[in-house]
Amino acid sequence: MASIALENITKAFGKINALDDVSLEVKDNEFFVLFGPAGAGKTTLLKTIAGVEFPQKGLVKIDGEIVNHKEPMHRNISMVFESYALYPHMTVYDNIASPMRSKLYKKDEAHIRRQVERVTKMMQIDHLWERRPSQLSNGQRQRVAIGRCLVREPNAFLMDEPLAHLDAKLRHHMRGELKEMQSSFDTTTIYVTHDYMEAMSLADRIAVLNLGKIEQLGTPMEMYYTPNNEFVARLFGEPEINIFDGELTERSGELAVRAFGQAALLPVAPDAAKVLRGGEHRKVRVGIRGNDISFSFDEVPGWLRGSVYVNEPIGNKVILVADVGGVRLSLVVPNDTRAKIDQPVFLSLNMQHAIFFCAEKGTYIVRSNAAQHVSDAPGTKEEG
Amino acid sequence: MAELVLRNVYKQYENTEKSWFRKKKAQKLDFAVKNLSFSCNDGEFIGILGPSGCGKTTTLRMLAGLETVTDGDIYIGETRINNLLPKDRNIGLAFEDYALYPPLTVYDNLAFNMRAKKMSNEEIQKAIDYVAPLLKVDDLLDQKPPSLSGGQKQRVNIARAIVRRPKLLLLDEPLSHLDGKMRQGMRHEIKRMHHEIKCTTIIVTHDQMEAMSLADRILIMKDGELQQMGTPMEVYDNPENEFVAGFIGEPPMNLLPSVIQKEEGTLFFTFENSPLRVEVPKRYLGILESGKKVTLGVRPMDVMVAKQTTAGSYIPIAIYENLGDERRISVRVGDSLMNMITTDNVVYERGQEVQLEFYAERTHLFDPETGKRIRAN
Repeated sequence: MASIALENITKAFGKINALDDVSLEVKDNEFFVLFGPAGAGKTTLLKTIAGVEFPQKGLVKIDGEIVNHKEPMHRNISMVFESYALYPHMTVYDNIASPMRSKLYKKDEAHIRRQVERVTKMMQIDHLWERRPSQLSNGQRQRVAIGRCLVREPNAFLMDEPLAHLDAKLRHHMRGELKEMQSSFDTTTIYVTHDYMEAMSLADRIAVLNLGKIEQLGTPMEMYYTPNNEFVARLFGEPEINIFDGELTERSGELAVRAFGQAALLPVAPDAAKVLRGGEHRKVRVGIRGNDISFSFDEVPGWLRGSVYVNEPIGNKVILVADVGGVRLSLVVPNDTRAKIDQPVFLSLNMQHAIFFCAEKGTYIVRSNAAQHVSDAPGTKEEG
Repeated sequence: MAELVLRNVYKQYENTEKSWFRKKKAQKLDFAVKNLSFSCNDGEFIGILGPSGCGKTTTLRMLAGLETVTDGDIYIGETRINNLLPKDRNIGLAFEDYALYPPLTVYDNLAFNMRAKKMSNEEIQKAIDYVAPLLKVDDLLDQKPPSLSGGQKQRVNIARAIVRRPKLLLLDEPLSHLDGKMRQGMRHEIKRMHHEIKCTTIIVTHDQMEAMSLADRILIMKDGELQQMGTPMEVYDNPENEFVAGFIGEPPMNLLPSVIQKEEGTLFFTFENSPLRVEVPKRYLGILESGKKVTLGVRPMDVMVAKQTTAGSYIPIAIYENLGDERRISVRVGDSLMNMITTDNVVYERGQEVQLEFYAERTHLFDPETGKRIRAN
């Protein structure tokens, strides 16, 4: 158990900055997720912490101590690999015992037995001691791989996309397994992924990386409800958040948004209006999620008019993409909805849940009731 | 006009491995495609879906004429095409890797096959003018493939496949090289394109979401055999067997091995190593009896935390996840995790004991031996 701090880390491969002045602090015992698209620098950051890559600038600290020049093996950090890398010819017991039989961490057999007992009980694999990896299910193998890392009581636990190579169905299952045993880790964990569901499900805090820079650092709910910019907003949620251009206008003393070149105005919640009025914004970008749009195939006065671009039945719901004045809006509709391509559709946006971004920079300005969404929103309570 | 019919089609590969001193006898392998029959109507969009090795690409290659047919007939319209050469079948093909000619511009790539057929320049121009806007490649006509993104290349690839207005368009995993966001957009474009040209189209994919969202009807294959064919909602709502049930839908259907037990005159589903008991819905009463083993299937949307106290037992929450768009709960039922998607705004905690309620109408029963669906009377 330890806290990990990175200060102004810069790492370049040739001319390309893989990491550009990255600073972050992972608290003791935290489950911290590094999240971002391919090429964002996630794995490079993880390797820097492990000591496999050396930063050109900046400090890596473990529990306050600078470890830049410590060899990986002296940092007491363990890493779970995507392929689990279990020894195929060893039993589960021997696999888990293996780190304690290495020269560096040599322990006596009685101690090893106690440790293996503790870890296998925690991972619920104590009945599998005599099995070899080939006789285990995928979930059990993952548990063995994690157990092997935990047995040493490392300072921190690094996981690089441990579920990425699995198919969708298995990945879903393994995420559940991981989430379930997460609370028993009792170790600082840094987890790299490009799957937003994994990030939201597992993380205490998330760092969103893009092109070697941190775009946002915060809890999953902060990412989802108050993203720092359009880039972060687009990463979380399926279907992707709709973001469109809007123009602020006053309508009988109330602030509203004109958009899609249509007569229908979109009302702005009073608390958001206050911030928007104060900021000299005339043009804004408005973000609204697919769940926050209502639809009707019959004309409703005051609603936006559009046409069905495509509709995609995906089982428990239908994703309907509407073309509204040349802008595509995706909305989630019930799975018994039938729509024809190009048929007219009428939409109402729940502007209480809209997120306003700066028109020039794409940065976050305001959303109504932000504090409540982030802190009291259902599901934000700490578990356990 | 271009109705496609497959009748009892088989495909068996032969292992014709030769060694230097002796010609080995050709060794017959297992059937890659077994007794496949289906038909698709003119203008229909069909998805062939299955895990790798299920025979879906073999089927497509037989349609294209790239593989011989071991047994059975394939018809396009009135014509039996088994022995026609690929070039005579009037089929458009687009594979997952784009196979564009890198030194040629997009325009020349599109025109290539038509020039080979000695069409006049005006005809070629006309055909390209029609197809290019459909797939939004009209701005790219002067560029060469190396400067295009993956999504653009795939659009050019598909445009080339449809530029000669084939009777049948075959798409082999066209989206699997693209990343998530681009895949979504491309899906929309393909759907619009099909809506516009109304060409009979077959797409092969292993991604159930892709098949569900694109196809009018889906064929689900496993081990060379057809498992089920139907519209997306048919296969979602009424899966014929356990395999289809588990393959379609995300998160997947919960499939729980269960034993029927009678307690105080009421039949319950019971589960090994779990206190969970689920009352047998009325519609199954005629076909189930105490002691029978079944697999109970229920989608994550169709089981929820009970609002009121029920006869069922309490069971602790193993996982609670807030994914923003939705919240998911999982509980342990024996060795497996059962997933639920909640729609209420209640915050649950891990370890909290709750009762569960099943949508009786939307439960499915499967025979644990054969995996076949057990129908209610």
